[in-house]
Amino acid sequence: MRGIMTKLKSFFGYAWALAALPIVLATFIGLNTWAKGLAEVTGVKISPWYSGGEVERVVPHDGYKTTINKPVFQGLVRERKQGFVQLKWTPNNSQSLPLVIDEEIDLDGDGKMDFGVRLDTRTDEARLNPYSSNVVSVNQVLNLGEERAVRVKLTNPRRLPPTARSQP
Amino acid sequence: MNQGTPRSDTHSAGEATAKPRSDSGARPATGMGAGSDAPPSRRNLGKAILLSLPLLLLTAMMLMGQGGLPKNSLYLIPLIVTFLFTNTLFFLMVYTGRTDRYRAVFFVTMAVGFVITFIANLLEARGSMALSAANVVKGETPFCHMVIPMTLIPAALTRTIIFPGRILGGFADVATMFGIWIGATLTLGRGFCSWGCFFGGLEDGFSRIRRKPLVRKIGEKWTYLPYAVLVAIVVIAALTLSPTYCEWLCPFKTVTEFAAVTSFKVLVQTVMFVSLFAGLVVVLPILTKRRTQCGLFCPMGAFQSFTNKVNAFDVRIDSEKCTDCTRCVNVCPTFSMDDASVSRGGTRISCTKCGKCVDECPKGAISFHVKGTPIRSSTGKARMLFLYPGFVFLAVFGGGMIQGALYRILLLATTGHMIK
Repeated sequence: MRGIMTKLKSFFGYAWALAALPIVLATFIGLNTWAKGLAEVTGVKISPWYSGGEVERVVPHDGYKTTINKPVFQGLVRERKQGFVQLKWTPNNSQSLPLVIDEEIDLDGDGKMDFGVRLDTRTDEARLNPYSSNVVSVNQVLNLGEERAVRVKLTNPRRLPPTARSQP
Repeated sequence: MNQGTPRSDTHSAGEATAKPRSDSGARPATGMGAGSDAPPSRRNLGKAILLSLPLLLLTAMMLMGQGGLPKNSLYLIPLIVTFLFTNTLFFLMVYTGRTDRYRAVFFVTMAVGFVITFIANLLEARGSMALSAANVVKGETPFCHMVIPMTLIPAALTRTIIFPGRILGGFADVATMFGIWIGATLTLGRGFCSWGCFFGGLEDGFSRIRRKPLVRKIGEKWTYLPYAVLVAIVVIAALTLSPTYCEWLCPFKTVTEFAAVTSFKVLVQTVMFVSLFAGLVVVLPILTKRRTQCGLFCPMGAFQSFTNKVNAFDVRIDSEKCTDCTRCVNVCPTFSMDDASVSRGGTRISCTKCGKCVDECPKGAISFHVKGTPIRSSTGKARMLFLYPGFVFLAVFGGGMIQGALYRILLLATTGHMIK
């Protein structure tokens, strides 16, 4: 019995060792396929803290469009108290952004404006006009070549105490 | 095995406690080295050529890819040089029976090639090595294997990767690097650190500059530091949802890319990167003749150690041949051998399968081994079974980096510029 076990262990050991070379070859030859499969199976995305989050809606304007992302409050287990919302302005084909963009933003689509933002595209300076208590400040202005993006710091309304939530 | 010799509880580098060993060239040829009393020995020339042929074909296929031979000499010359370089080293490995000596030549060249290629690519694509906030938002940061341990918990709980790269598409995307890492883990385990990691070659190179170490004794407790760093960065990365190691501790930022210094915080981070690089990758390896970043700090190495359990190969010591000289303990670059592991007839879990102890053992007592098989059976076969996947991985993964560096050098020689 012990002899059989020893032979079996040897057999599986050599089988696994022999499989190593085909695995290495398959890793590199099929790399694009594996990578695509891995991305699809796991369904993972880049953290919204880096990517800016998913697109909520796109607002077209004359010569450019505004992309409003979903607010980012992602935490490991539950949402964080503070986060941001990313806005991006993209010029239409063969045009450039206006020198000054002045826009009112409705984050949650409830018909009430949450803040106004004024961006000088020459100096990349942004000014914020908050209308809601959970809009804090301009976090970051990003020059993305032809495009500009702004991250506005927010407090999470779902993590505010009930008294603070009811304030206008 | 002799058990009577007392050993110290520290890792002492170099030749202080080692018995004198004979020159390899003076040893009699003993065929495969399998079951012999001698250290690695030369093979028959014809047999060595025959055993090298599969790699010749595989590297030709893998390095050329689907496009065949390029017509532009700026691409053709690097391809031919890399092909010849790779196969010469593998032939020498097979013919002389020495593993680490020739592996290290390729490994160090790969690391230098990686740095040249990576920096040139960055300058070409972004105009700078510095990473701006815009690069982060656009996902233009190449993903590297060092991030992997930090990404797992957040990926499991939030289904997101805490890295400013791309999941698919672009240079070194997340899914591709994970694919390569899974392949390496299944075949090499922590062998990845000596047969695949494009950073490890830098300190491997620096650790070979001096003939003898200046610092010999390093307390064994330091060898547990990588596990502590691993636990710390995994926990902090999960809590902050940011790759802590990349932001604060990665020495290799110094020779790849780093955040543009726009604040005091980033300045402190940059000082950390440069100090750790100078200390762990340059100065300490020169002084100790060890890979100190890999053996005493790298959290990815610590993480990869556990994968040594899920592949077919390990390094074993034949207790009947071992004379307890502790040479293996003294020369192991990653502190993966100690008294206890030698007594058990193997290595610690952190073994990177570099083959240095196999090359250095004066009695030929240490060999590559296929798990599940008897230790004394067919050590030559086990070595070849490991060398094929190990060297193919190294050649394919590193071959592109060496080709890339040669291309940049040729470009510099012909146009005066390294970037287009």
